[in-house]
Amino acid sequence: MDLSIVVPLYNEEESVDALHAEVSAAAAKLGISYEILYVDDGSGDGTVGKLRAVVDRDPQVKVIRFRRNYGQTSAIQAGFDQSRGRVVVTMDGDLQNDPGDMGLLLAELDRGYDVVSGWRRDRKDRMLSRRIPSRVANWLIGRLTGTRIHDNGCTLKAYRSDVVKRTTLYAEMHRFLAPMMSLTGCRTREVVVNHRPRQFGRSKYGISRIWKVFLDLLTIKMLLGFTTRPAAWFGLLSLPFLGGTCLGLAASIYSYATLGPQRDYPLVFPSVTILFALAAVHLLLIGVFAELVVKVGDFKEKDAVLASLDSRGAPV
Amino acid sequence: MSSIGRMKLRGEAESGPDLSVVVPIVERYGDLRQLTAEFSAEIARLGLRAEWIFVVDEVQRGALPELREIQRTSEQEVVIVLLGGAFGESAALTVGLERARGQRIATLASYFQVEPRGLGATFAALDAGADMVVGRRYPRTDSAFNRIQSRLFHWILRGVTSAGFHDISCGFKVMKRQVARELNIYGGLHRFIPILAQNRGFTVHEVPLAQRSENRSTRFHGAGAYLGRLLDLLTVFFLVRFTRRPLRFFGLLGTALFAAGFLVDLVLAIQKVFFHTGLSGRVVLLLGVLLMVLGVQTLSLGLLGELVIFTHARNVREYQVAEVIRNPRQGVLQHPDGKGEVRVRNLR
Repeated sequence: MDLSIVVPLYNEEESVDALHAEVSAAAAKLGISYEILYVDDGSGDGTVGKLRAVVDRDPQVKVIRFRRNYGQTSAIQAGFDQSRGRVVVTMDGDLQNDPGDMGLLLAELDRGYDVVSGWRRDRKDRMLSRRIPSRVANWLIGRLTGTRIHDNGCTLKAYRSDVVKRTTLYAEMHRFLAPMMSLTGCRTREVVVNHRPRQFGRSKYGISRIWKVFLDLLTIKMLLGFTTRPAAWFGLLSLPFLGGTCLGLAASIYSYATLGPQRDYPLVFPSVTILFALAAVHLLLIGVFAELVVKVGDFKEKDAVLASLDSRGAPV
Repeated sequence: MSSIGRMKLRGEAESGPDLSVVVPIVERYGDLRQLTAEFSAEIARLGLRAEWIFVVDEVQRGALPELREIQRTSEQEVVIVLLGGAFGESAALTVGLERARGQRIATLASYFQVEPRGLGATFAALDAGADMVVGRRYPRTDSAFNRIQSRLFHWILRGVTSAGFHDISCGFKVMKRQVARELNIYGGLHRFIPILAQNRGFTVHEVPLAQRSENRSTRFHGAGAYLGRLLDLLTVFFLVRFTRRPLRFFGLLGTALFAAGFLVDLVLAIQKVFFHTGLSGRVVLLLGVLLMVLGVQTLSLGLLGELVIFTHARNVREYQVAEVIRNPRQGVLQHPDGKGEVRVRNLR
């Protein structure tokens, strides 16, 4: 199969029919074999019922229903897991993305990119609550990953399936998937796409909490960086405490040396020294322990790198 | 673990009963004969075929003669499992649930808690789409002391897990087979079964059941019991909220501790530099350093937690799929040009 289209849906009862009509029309126009995967993220309204009707009409459609609401990252992950196409396209279920843009993304993939991300240059959303937070988040993500992408929040993206199959989405990672993938050696590209105002319902996902994105991003970047050498990393973390130990020791000796006759020796400095030494040793030990954890785990840096090399040159 | 009793041989035993009733006998037990008889009668009245599974903890061996008597006289299948040691209620429940062959599985306390006549309502709730139904003794007829302690516990529980249950310690629960298969209970987690089920994406309903008059005793628990419960709460809190993201919790706590310590020492440093207050007499310096050290230790444990998950459970999926809906004609694809159908092989 050539193309898998993954659409996460959460309480989109009104838009399901219009969405499917548009998506399937756009997909048929591409002239390649395709499947559409709708992932119902625990909707409480009639979304599932509508989707069942769609499945009955259209054999190219598969619906994955979640037991409860797990969030957009999980929904996209489920779509990735079930996808069979050589290319996977994700898009929003609220009709704000234009399915007609799929052709643009696929054309860029054909030029040799692994991930093509949509850029809603002309966004039809509220300025204060959506567009400004998103600006900040995108800037932050760009700074931290080194891959500047204007619009990480755009769900409309296309991936080669081998990229998708070897990536595990982590936490809220769908928000910065493209820069993450570029960290593991994928070639990413941005394409300007249409963005339309919301027709039905209200927005459920959005970059609302930047600190969450920030924390996740930091974690992931750190994990990618230090999973291979945790002992060294924790060792680095213990350096300031080793420094503190030395300072405390120096202060202890100094206060002892300058101690006048018949005065009590202040116990504050030796205590501080001991505390800092304790923390430094603790961190070093955790580093050794982390080394053990990684060693018995299944993370193989080598595999990830090799897989990214293999993906090059395979025609889509 | 040794299995003492065997189920009675019956012609229709192969298809499995409609309902398995699991009764762990661990802490105490009441009049088992009457309990079994009354619930059996109600189950029979509802037209269901049931099997009873009694799981007896080593310390309650004394219940065995009574159970054998029940086994001999009961119309329904009765299985008795004797655990080889004092393993506690979670272990007993796990063993019982594993043995259960029914499509629906009920758990029942080994003493009277609720009136059997509520069974019908419980099954109706399952028919209406719930995956698990938990009993709530309502209205409560206990002593005021009991009610207050229960209130308090559930109030904390709601704050910790944001699950709105009112009587989580009621032993009466009915669940679909799938729920029992996926439950993983150990330690003191048997008390939190509804929350664990809900966390795995199952629909859990609460049904009010009339409380039995025998269940009115005023019970003082030892301080140890309350402490144990609080620790269990902590476990559930972690299981439900932070298993996938340990740094979210440890990171926040660690950063807060570190920041507090840093602030304290910063103030001292400023006083030293600008006001020449000597550090040697300042015990607060110690507090600041201690807080910073604690903060970094907490943070590093969080990092270690992330590392464990990243290297060992990266490919464990967080989501639970209820069903995959496909068209029966899937695998037969429309040709792009619309010229009839092309068969494609299933790629997986």
